[in-house]
Amino acid sequence: MRLDRALLVFGKDWREVRRNWEVILPIALVPLIFSVILPAVFFILPSSVGGSTSTGWIEALIRNMPGSVQAEMAGMSSLQVTTYVMALYFLAPFFLIIPVMASSVIASDSFAGEKERKTIEGLLATPLTDGELLLGKILVSFVPSMIVTLLSFTAYCASVDFFGYNLFGRLPLPNLSWLMLMLGLAPVVSLAAIGLTVIISARVRGFREAQQISVLLILPILGLLFGQAAGVLIFGPTMILILTGLFAVVDIVVFRVGLRLFQREEILSQTR
Amino acid sequence: MPAIETVGLVKRFGSLAAVDGLSFEVEAGEIFGLLGPNGSGKTTTIRMLSCLIAPTEGQASVGGHDIRRDPLRVRETVGVLTENPSLYERLTAYENMEFFARAYGAADEAARAKRIREVLEFFELWGRRDERVGTYSKGMKQKLAIARAIVHNPEVLFLDEPTAGLDPKASKDIRDMMERLSRQEKHTILLCTHNLEDAERLCRHVMIINKGRSIVAGTTDELRKKIAGPPKLEVCLIKVTEQIMRTVEASENVKAVEVNGANTKLVIDVDDPDGSTPCVVKRIVDAGGLVRSVQLVEPSLEEAYLKLVKEAPV
Repeated sequence: MRLDRALLVFGKDWREVRRNWEVILPIALVPLIFSVILPAVFFILPSSVGGSTSTGWIEALIRNMPGSVQAEMAGMSSLQVTTYVMALYFLAPFFLIIPVMASSVIASDSFAGEKERKTIEGLLATPLTDGELLLGKILVSFVPSMIVTLLSFTAYCASVDFFGYNLFGRLPLPNLSWLMLMLGLAPVVSLAAIGLTVIISARVRGFREAQQISVLLILPILGLLFGQAAGVLIFGPTMILILTGLFAVVDIVVFRVGLRLFQREEILSQTR
Repeated sequence: MPAIETVGLVKRFGSLAAVDGLSFEVEAGEIFGLLGPNGSGKTTTIRMLSCLIAPTEGQASVGGHDIRRDPLRVRETVGVLTENPSLYERLTAYENMEFFARAYGAADEAARAKRIREVLEFFELWGRRDERVGTYSKGMKQKLAIARAIVHNPEVLFLDEPTAGLDPKASKDIRDMMERLSRQEKHTILLCTHNLEDAERLCRHVMIINKGRSIVAGTTDELRKKIAGPPKLEVCLIKVTEQIMRTVEASENVKAVEVNGANTKLVIDVDDPDGSTPCVVKRIVDAGGLVRSVQLVEPSLEEAYLKLVKEAPV
C-alpha cells in the first residue's frame, strides 16, 4: 500500500466535497454555532438567575470528581463551580461527537455515493489496491471532520475565555486535558467511527442506508457523555490517555477488518 | 502470444450461469467483437477480464498476465470503458483525466500532462478541458470516458457498449475513433455490443454469445456466409407482374422469391448466384419485365445474428 496513491483518492474526493456546498455548510456551521452558543448559555444563564442553578446531578458530578479536579475548584463560589464544571468537563464528550457527526455525511457517501452516481466500477477497475482505496476514503472524511472539530474547539475556547475571564480572573481554556482531548482522543475516536462508516458504505446499496446505520455509532460516545454526567467517568488527563490508547487499537482493528471485508465483487454487486 | 486468451471461462451467480464456458483468443492490435443481446454475459465477461469479479471456473490471461494470479498487473495493463461512463461530474474533464492517469501509474508529471493533452485533442475535448463534466452532453461524456480508458496507453481496451444511447453522428464519431485507436495506436480492443453496425464495420473476428454461451465465432464474412447463406439477387423493375413472378419461380436454381410492397423489387434466393443471374434476368426480360437495376446483396451480419439468437437453445 502506497500513501501517495491513497492521497490521490483523497485529493479526488476532497475536490468533489469542496464543490458541494450542500455537504460543506451543515458540516461546518452546526458545530461552530454549537461551540459559541452553548458556552454563552452556561455563562449567562446562571449569572442571570443569581447563581442558584446548581442542581442535584451537578452536585453529584462535582462530588465524584477526582481530588485533583476538586483542588482546581477550591475556594470557588457555587456559581463559579457550576460554570467551571459545565464548561470544562460536562461539554468535553460533545467534542467527541462533533468529528463523528461531521464525518458521517462524507464517510457514508464514500463508496455508497460512488455506487449511486455509478462511478464505482471505473474506480474499482483501476490498479489502486484495496488498502489505498480504503485509506483514501477514510482520509477524505477524517481531514474535514478534524478541521471542523479544531475550528469548533478554537471558537469554544474563545467563547469560554471571553465569558469566563471576568468570572474566574483568568483564561480557563485551553488546558492540558482539553488539548489531549482534541489532539489525541478526538482524532482516534473519529477514525474509528469513520472506518466503520466507510465499511458500512461499501456494503450497502446507497448513501441513506449507510447514514442511517452509521448514526448508531454515536451511541457509545453518548455513553461517555452519560458516564461523565453520572460522575463515573471524568475526562482527566489519565482517562483521556487510556481512552486514546484504547481507540488507537480499535482504529487498527477496524482498518484490518475493513481490508478483509473489502471485496470488489461484492461492492459491485450492490450497485443499483 | 494472444493479447487476450480465455479457456472455459465460467461465472455463476447462485444457480445462474451468467457466463458458461467461454473460450476465445484475441490477437494483439485486433478489434474483437463480443456480440449478444442484453443479459447474454458480455458485461460479466468484461468484468472478469478486468479483474472486477472472479471467475467461478476457467482461466484467462490479458496482456500475458493471469487474471487469477496477477489481478493488479492485469488492471495496470487494461483500460476499461464500463457500461456507465464512470466520470466524476463535479470534476473537470482535465481533473478526471489527471486522476485516472495517476491511478494507473503515470507518475511523471510532464509526460502525463502531454499524454492527457494528446488524448483530449484526439477526442476534440481539449478546448473544454476545464469545464465540469456535469455540463457535458452524453456524446461528450462517452468520448471522455473512452479518453479516460486510454489515458495510460493500455495494451488492451475493453469497451462495453461504447455507442449505446448516442445519436447517429456521435455513434459514427466513436466508431471512427475506435478505428483510429486500433490502426494508429495499436490498441487491442474487445468490443462488447449488440450494435451490429459497430461490429460489422470495426471487427474482423466476432463471437456471438447468448445466455452466457458461445453460439458461433469467426470472421464477420464467415459468419454472414455460414449463417445467413449466400448473397441474394435483387432485381428492381418498373413493375412486377404476375407473369414475371411465375416465370422467376419456375426458373432453374431459384429457391424462393419475395416481392416488395410497392411491386417494384424482386429478392430472389438462388443457388450459385454468380452463375444463375444472367439466366434469371433474361427470363424476366422475356416475360416483359422492364429492368432498372440488378445486384447481388450480401446478407447482413444483423440477419445472421438475429437468426442465431432466435435459434439458440433456451
